[in-house]
Amino acid sequence: MPAIEVRNLKKTYGDTTAVADVSFEVGEGEIFGILGPNGAGKTTTVECISGLRTPDAGAVRVLGLDPGLDRENVRQVLGVQLQESQLPAKIQVREALELYASFYREPADVGRLLAQWELTEKATARFGKLSGGQKQRLAVALAMVGNPRVVVLDELTTGLDPHARRTAWEMVEQVRAAGVTVLLVTHFMEEAERLCDRVAIIDAGRVVAVDTPAGLAAYGSAAGQRMRFRPSAPVQDALLLALPEVSSVERHGAYLEVAGNSEVIGAVTALLARRQIIAAELRVEQNSLDDAFIALTSHPGDSDGPHHTSRTTSEESR
Amino acid sequence: MSATTASPRLLPEFRMTGNGFRTLVRTQARLLRREPAIVLSGIALPVALIIVFGVIPAFGKPSASLGGKTTLDVYVPTFAMLSSVLTAFTALPVSFADLRERGVLRRLAVSPVPAAGLLAAQVTVIAATAAATAAAVVLIGVVGFGATLPANPALMLASYVLGTTALLALGLLISALAPSAGVATAFGVPTMILNFFFAGVYVPLQSMPHVLRDLSGFVPYGAIVDTWSGSGAAWQHLAVLAGYTVVGALAAARVFKWE
Repeated sequence: MPAIEVRNLKKTYGDTTAVADVSFEVGEGEIFGILGPNGAGKTTTVECISGLRTPDAGAVRVLGLDPGLDRENVRQVLGVQLQESQLPAKIQVREALELYASFYREPADVGRLLAQWELTEKATARFGKLSGGQKQRLAVALAMVGNPRVVVLDELTTGLDPHARRTAWEMVEQVRAAGVTVLLVTHFMEEAERLCDRVAIIDAGRVVAVDTPAGLAAYGSAAGQRMRFRPSAPVQDALLLALPEVSSVERHGAYLEVAGNSEVIGAVTALLARRQIIAAELRVEQNSLDDAFIALTSHPGDSDGPHHTSRTTSEESR
Repeated sequence: MSATTASPRLLPEFRMTGNGFRTLVRTQARLLRREPAIVLSGIALPVALIIVFGVIPAFGKPSASLGGKTTLDVYVPTFAMLSSVLTAFTALPVSFADLRERGVLRRLAVSPVPAAGLLAAQVTVIAATAAATAAAVVLIGVVGFGATLPANPALMLASYVLGTTALLALGLLISALAPSAGVATAFGVPTMILNFFFAGVYVPLQSMPHVLRDLSGFVPYGAIVDTWSGSGAAWQHLAVLAGYTVVGALAAARVFKWE
């Protein structure tokens, strides 16, 4: 039995279709990522899984149970960290954990949770006084307080500084180490690449791809690979462009940027070696999930995507 | 595959751990204590009024028009009830709307706590506050200023308890739906004023047209006051109050909005 099963999920709000047709399965023990641009329907999907929304069509099962009809039993096994959810400003950290623990039939030990999520020193601090990172740690601790078998983490690291983000990633790995299935909603490629066993890319309310991060990255290889270096001696553009693996050459001051297919790095380094030219400060841009993501989800007029700008300004080779 | 019979329920979900309910009551009581402004008017106003009425000498003199009772005697039950009215239509809906507006209820919605449990816990805290205030009002009136207790304390107590639950159930219905503190106030305050009106606070019931007088027996605060004044059958008024309590509370748990 899959931990989470979503079949032909559909949800509309008035005229807007938030989710058009989403299906995927998450196996037990997996870290499964949902990636997608803002407004793609990620949060609505998660809300249907959590039982906050009733789907208009399709089915959602958590460990075989319907979150809409079997509210209590699903919530006993499903831990959720939600966007835009809060605690009362004046509740203390320990009070919050004890309160939520009391709702579950087999809760986790609050003292242990405090220690595990590095909140022991903050046990008597009020929620309103916590930092962003501390609030996120408490949110994950609260998701874990019922000893769940499945945990949903919705944009866990949005708004965190890089250091806190890395800590959050370690938290997710800790959660999985405890044998819990994780559904991770994110718009950070790096996060999905680092944590997820499999990723579903959702765009405009539909699943456009489900694969391992490596599999998806390979899918993005239409965009090819890219290398950047400072040659120890002048190299003619034509020489490089003569290689069948190379699609474009650009110059940025003393640096050369060469793009091509998946064999381009080997071909260029071999050519340079033959001419006894050293490629100093060589940087290779690996095909990443980023490329796959952009290839799969880009549509015209969509300039404000959630992706960061790791792309260079070369002309596209596709 | 799932063993439960999956049919849409008419009755709301009630299942919750006993420890969960107790912890919820304790936590909500603590939070209310840390945010005292929300219940302050419901406590301070009735207490202040009974003291003001108590120190006015004329209100302590028996009056023939009141059947030998003093003005203070008549107002002790009114002020005792006031805390319930105020908290039911202000503190209760506003505190819920505030939690809803801030996304606190959204987080609770994905935990196993049922809406009914959440409402019941908050009502327990609010009702305890109102009851303590009522007790203080009676104590100050009787011990402090020598007011005499009504002839039928059992009936008074019954009308107080059922009256409070009826008012709170109405307040719960507003609490269940109001999306923001502003909306909660916009619905709570007029409902409260309507209750005051039919209880004869603004215009004496005796001088109202018959239609309105009869209607007042079907408005919670009106039914309470009618029970006290002995107009109409007491059991009928108590039945009306019990009806509000049951229907209002069930409806609130059923239509409860988590966000």
